[in-house]
Amino acid sequence: MIRQGTTHTIQVTVNGQVYNRVVEARQLLVHFLRDTLDLTGTHIGCDTGSCGACSVIFNGQLVKSCMLLAPQADGAEIETVEGLARSGELDPLQQSFSAHHGLQCGYCTPGMLMTATYLLRQNPTPTEEEIRQGIKGNICRCTGYVNIVRSISAVAEAHRATAVGTTEGRDQQ
Amino acid sequence: MLLKSVEYVRPDTVPEALDLLRSNVGAAPLAGGQSLTNVLKHRVASVDLLVDISALAELRSITRTAEGVIEIGSCVTYDEIDHSREVRAGHDIVARVAAHIEDQQIRNRGTIGGNCCLSDPTNNLPPLLVALGATMNVRSAGGSRQVAAEDFFKGYFLTALEPGELLTSVTIPPLLSGVGAGYVSVSVAADSKAIVRAAARVEVKGVIGEARVVLARVASVPVRHRGMEDALRGAPPTAESVRAAAATIGNELEPIADSHGSSQYRREMARVVAQRAVLEAIAEGGGK
Repeated sequence: MIRQGTTHTIQVTVNGQVYNRVVEARQLLVHFLRDTLDLTGTHIGCDTGSCGACSVIFNGQLVKSCMLLAPQADGAEIETVEGLARSGELDPLQQSFSAHHGLQCGYCTPGMLMTATYLLRQNPTPTEEEIRQGIKGNICRCTGYVNIVRSISAVAEAHRATAVGTTEGRDQQ
Repeated sequence: MLLKSVEYVRPDTVPEALDLLRSNVGAAPLAGGQSLTNVLKHRVASVDLLVDISALAELRSITRTAEGVIEIGSCVTYDEIDHSREVRAGHDIVARVAAHIEDQQIRNRGTIGGNCCLSDPTNNLPPLLVALGATMNVRSAGGSRQVAAEDFFKGYFLTALEPGELLTSVTIPPLLSGVGAGYVSVSVAADSKAIVRAAARVEVKGVIGEARVVLARVASVPVRHRGMEDALRGAPPTAESVRAAAATIGNELEPIADSHGSSQYRREMARVVAQRAVLEAIAEGGGK
């Protein structure tokens, strides 16, 4: 039970790091990430759950962080865009967004990256239609969807090539 | 965005949640929060205490009996319904509808209970549950009761729930041999808000037996169209007779007009989606 109150002490793990903070019950999770933890990679686009710019992975589930309250995150593990790159090196998806010009103004990019990360975990080799379906909750106001889909497709294609390679390897044995 | 000050509590059990709902007049249950959070942002309802029921195990299970009756806990998410083997086994249409609610983020949080209790006329599940003859299982600190889905939706953002009551699960009867279901919408865009929608459950035994045809977005709540149901009963399961039955949908409906369609447009599209939903139900039922 989390006791009844307007403020709560919560423990949250973000990108592997544990944070203990006192939060107001009315604070949106996105504000907790940006203002309290200073993790400003997660963006606020619409503030009404429509645009997906604030998408993060919450206990393994893709969510819009403007649609949760900070105390709901007590005990949760959260992944944000800051957690994608390792030792200063962009992850394959980020590299693909860079290579295929998957961003124009860049505002929707953190949300797109987290959504694509989740999508590729669920289904490492999505078709173009599955990618379009998967990013339905993320709006790019530059309307740069063609290159965003291309960026994600390229990673799926690489997964497909690896999977085929593995299968062939097995067949030869 | 800054919300009005609010209290939050996360009980460990359903009885604890029910006590909290009974003893706090301004309390509201918080399930997936995919609508309630926006309600709080816009300050359109006054909530003093959020009782977070989203993780209560008792509200999170799906069970299927040997007879094929399925019970879905109110805090089961759309994504979980989509991926549930129990739901897919005998109620594929429920999983298919859940799989096309808005987007992945919302499907990961939004719940069947929230979808019903909000009673937003654009919501996907209410017309389907009315067509399938579902039962809403309701509990309060004082006891429990069952409400037919048909009687649960009372108006715009209004249900049969009394203060202190909580929807704990939804029971859906089996779709037996010869019985099929259909669901067709005209939407603003793919997987988005419906302009008009129909859900149907049709029994076919040589001719059409019992038929339930439910229209949504033509009134504040999902409505059964008795005229079309009567016209279907005893008719051959053909496109011709379904078209004739759909012609009974007429001026008794006075749908709202908005930027997505006039009242007349909705009425005409209601005929189209009702026809298609019934044909889908016949095709599905005939395949069993």
